[in-house]
Amino acid sequence: MALWSEQKPVEDFYRVLAPDGSLVNDPPDFDDDELIELYWTMKLTKRFEDKALKLQRAGEVSIISRCRGEEATPLGAAAALNPGDWCFPLYRQRSGLIYWDVPLERQLVGLMGAEPETIDEHLPGEDFDEPAVNFSPIYVPLGSNLPNTVGSALADKLNDRDTVSLTFVGDGSTSEGDFHEALNFAGVFDVPAVFVCQNNQWAISVPSHRQTASETFAQKGDAYGIPNERVDGNDIFAVYEKSKEAVERARSGGGPTFIECVTYRVVEHNTADEPSVYRDEKQREYWLERDPIDRFETYLLDEGVIEEGDIDTMEGSIDDRIQETVKTVRQVPKSSPEQMFENHLHGTSWKERHQRAELQRELNGDNPFVDWTGEGFE
Amino acid sequence: MSDASALDGETTERNLVETINQTLVQEMHNNESVRLMGYDIGPIGGVYRTTEELIDEFGGDRVIDTPLSENGIIGTAVGMAMRGERIVPEIQFMGFFYPAFGQFMYSLVKMHERSGGKLDVPLTIRMVCGGGIKASEYHSESTETYLVHTPGVRVVCPSGPREAKGLLASSIRHDDPVVFMEHKKLYRTHREPVPEREYMLPLDEAHIVRTGEDLTLISWGAMVRHAKTAADRVDADVEVLDLRTLSPLDVETVLDSVKKTGRCVVFHEARRTLGLGAELVALINEYAFDRLHAPIQRATGYDVHFPGNQIEEAYLPDANRAQYAIEAVMNYEF
Repeated sequence: MALWSEQKPVEDFYRVLAPDGSLVNDPPDFDDDELIELYWTMKLTKRFEDKALKLQRAGEVSIISRCRGEEATPLGAAAALNPGDWCFPLYRQRSGLIYWDVPLERQLVGLMGAEPETIDEHLPGEDFDEPAVNFSPIYVPLGSNLPNTVGSALADKLNDRDTVSLTFVGDGSTSEGDFHEALNFAGVFDVPAVFVCQNNQWAISVPSHRQTASETFAQKGDAYGIPNERVDGNDIFAVYEKSKEAVERARSGGGPTFIECVTYRVVEHNTADEPSVYRDEKQREYWLERDPIDRFETYLLDEGVIEEGDIDTMEGSIDDRIQETVKTVRQVPKSSPEQMFENHLHGTSWKERHQRAELQRELNGDNPFVDWTGEGFE
Repeated sequence: MSDASALDGETTERNLVETINQTLVQEMHNNESVRLMGYDIGPIGGVYRTTEELIDEFGGDRVIDTPLSENGIIGTAVGMAMRGERIVPEIQFMGFFYPAFGQFMYSLVKMHERSGGKLDVPLTIRMVCGGGIKASEYHSESTETYLVHTPGVRVVCPSGPREAKGLLASSIRHDDPVVFMEHKKLYRTHREPVPEREYMLPLDEAHIVRTGEDLTLISWGAMVRHAKTAADRVDADVEVLDLRTLSPLDVETVLDSVKKTGRCVVFHEARRTLGLGAELVALINEYAFDRLHAPIQRATGYDVHFPGNQIEEAYLPDANRAQYAIEAVMNYEF
């Protein structure tokens, strides 16, 4: 079996940090604290998702899609943003969210299926810091985030704001119409947007060669007149550097960029998936050897930025942080059923009032079908 | 607000195209964040000329000609609205809205709810609907059912210029997403006095066009004028309701009227099966059953694809079809 999922894999891309942790290009200009923050974010993401997986198995979390093995792509891209910028994520960009301090508590309770109103009430923004980058709600229908990102960027451009909008798309969702429409509009209106293709080579069970006959995903940008890059998505330096260039170009009026980050989904699509049914372990092992965290850790150790002992200390404090999060989140009460009616339209309507009353009766153990005049619940 | 109060002050005889144009100018002057988007809305002023000369007055950053892509228009407009712009996209034909259903369902109607109320999507989709001008099948559809079935969006359909001005101003100023249906048959068929002053009409109230004691005739959009004609012709005292807003429905006004008259005909241009008439009949059955003197009838389009030009008149409901339905219900005996 092929070790890549592309039809004709192009195995070259921009890389700074090789899988063995050695430099093949100049690294970005990070100081030690910044390097450690990136490393910490990847480790925290991994261990947070491991914990969420355990909670899923125990029935506390409904479903989770992990970004295990792909942490460098969303992290490198999101780290290139400035406070005040906008980000439109899907569900596999947790390292980017964690980098900008989207509170773990709010993330975890969301995975447990809480309504947004419950989250705001019990884990309010003032106690759990609002992130400095603006994050849209997480998009689940893949590709639907892309045209909205273009609109966000167009709003900034028309108002002469130097804000950048950055978004993610998987290899699979490049096949959606939304992808074409968004990149086409982005090119035509020359908006300050950055599109990051997190090519993890699998859309649930369907490999990349079933998504496109293009040699690379990056080259799709050419068709829309959008500058594009192809980078090693497991290399935090390469992703950051090309994302930073794209973000700065957008900020200075240079228009959109499309960046393909080549990575690999080493875990399941989500907790309802079983990859052994459709793919070969050899492919997975090949990519595990190219793991983003391992190579960055080797680099940091080699450079003397961290020592072996630091790793244990760090893992200990990460696990404490996660334990604290779980404890806090377990105190959040379940969403109340009437919250399903919230925030559909401003104001109220006869039907909303009537159906709320019906639900209330049902919850109270009363027959809701007692109104024969339309005025019974007024 | 009644039509009478809306007629205060100076009025000008206008058709629907001129009224829409004038109202867009008014709203764009009132609020700099109001921007129009669509294809052919710029230099040619829209295929119906509803946006004529607006690009000259407001420039290409406020009257934005887009690529030919309904989903791209709606998706981009939603993103702009999430960032505080007040976007008025035009969908040239309701029958071409289907490609935009993805962004409509995933982003437009859900963003406010998904954000826990933190993000508004103040967007008014002007959607040109209806048949009767021999524009052929894809250009003549009335598919409000798809929209009304969906929570999180208001659906508004004016029956003439005077209403359109107040309803469009309200739609654009509202923080909810609104689909504003403009029936193309109404664009140039008639003029009526439209007040020059600014006014708003509520986005959840039906309008009692004429009062009556014997039967309630419920309609909206281009059917309302046929409803009035039918009501004038029959030997019964017919109350004519113009729903104006199809979602959320003004259930009180509908039920009050039917409880008073005891008879009802629903009259709409869209196909019958699961048309809004079906919902109205269900509501009346649920909450006014024991006041009915006769079954409710639905005078509507047929359950077919909109037919070609030569036979579209036979599809379209008109005063005759409404009259037959009224007479049948009036003559019904248990």
